[in-house]
Amino acid sequence: MSTERIAVELASAWPEDAESVDEGVVANWFVREGATVDAGDTLCEIQIEKVSVDVPAPADGVLEEIVLHENDEFTHDDTLAYLRPD
Amino acid sequence: MAQKTTSTGRELTMSRAMVEAVADEMREDEEVFLMGEDVADYGGIFSSATGLREEFGYDRVMDVPISETSYIGAGVGAAQAGMRPIVELMFADFFGVAMDQIYNNMAKNTYMSGGAVNVPMVLTTAVGGTYNDAAQHSQTLYGTFAHLPGMKVVVPSTAHDAKGLMHSAIRDDDPVVYMFHKRLMGLGWMPSPDGPKTEVPEDPYAIPFGEADVKREGEDATVVTLGLHVHRAMDAAEALAEDGIDAEVVDLRTLTPLDTETVLESVRKTGRLVVVDEDYHSYGVTGEIVSVAAEDALADLEAVERVALPDVPIPYARPLENEVIPDADDIAAAVRATQE
Repeated sequence: MSTERIAVELASAWPEDAESVDEGVVANWFVREGATVDAGDTLCEIQIEKVSVDVPAPADGVLEEIVLHENDEFTHDDTLAYLRPD
Repeated sequence: MAQKTTSTGRELTMSRAMVEAVADEMREDEEVFLMGEDVADYGGIFSSATGLREEFGYDRVMDVPISETSYIGAGVGAAQAGMRPIVELMFADFFGVAMDQIYNNMAKNTYMSGGAVNVPMVLTTAVGGTYNDAAQHSQTLYGTFAHLPGMKVVVPSTAHDAKGLMHSAIRDDDPVVYMFHKRLMGLGWMPSPDGPKTEVPEDPYAIPFGEADVKREGEDATVVTLGLHVHRAMDAAEALAEDGIDAEVVDLRTLTPLDTETVLESVRKTGRLVVVDEDYHSYGVTGEIVSVAAEDALADLEAVERVALPDVPIPYARPLENEVIPDADDIAAAVRATQE
């Protein structure tokens, strides 16, 4: 496992029409720590201004660490999780 | 929770599991279509249809006017003509405006026509309270639908069960009422308790009707329930276990057909029956299950308790609604009462 783990950033999932908003909440995780995912798989669902947004896996790999858990609140520049690519 | 499938690591909310089953059936059979209020552009107000219009288009995912009689009737006609409609009644509470279509047509046309037609239709509907939506948007009405012959009645409590039961509902050649509890759907704006979000296999699978699921095995008391209250009963069982009381939790999963065997088997083992229902106390699930036990396991019965909504309209005010809808403490107290 020599690859660098990559951050799943909230900024990349932020809806364009919600750029003026700077907070949200994690609604549901669909993958547990340690699970293997494919790029594009839905990792979790976040809520920004009552709109649900699915956050996809940015790469194939293992979901190594969940930083923000269900019901945790976040701001635009926070990190949701870390993924170690295959 | 009983899981009979291989681990994939993927979990789904109940709403997503339901939608996955519907989408899969729609891909397999072009006669399957969905109609209801706000199911197309909005995806269902409780996310029961998210993404379906985008995949299948407006011909197969149809928004309808606010006329339940007309569109539920249209569903019955389409079913009799050979299609497999899924028709969503936004809140079970509003069955009244379309009861003639539901009860006299959907449920009876197969019988009335001497089998010349059948009605392979699924009527999906959101049920339940706990979110302060008052007396006309909070009922479960399980007993009302299960009382009327001619319809199968399905009430899932987990994502895993919701998907398997939806596949069975759509494939069934007779009318099925599929009642999903809003609090279990996993909505960001109405968080679920722990429990309904489960691992869900990606491939289709059918859970047969009439098979209750023992969600927790126990020796001291049988708790028979369904829907949201499966999870409240599990919480109660956990609290009771700390006091050395070992409760079994039976999730009925379908009211019609009713798995009396699983109920009786459990009652014969524990001798103590607690029936928990979010529907009204009188003339409902609690009375029916107690009757089943009394008829066929009377000699084994040591104690019986019913935990249900009092026979009053569900209050809007949060403290009052919390008072009338049974919680885990109410269930635990009823189980303790059977141990005396």
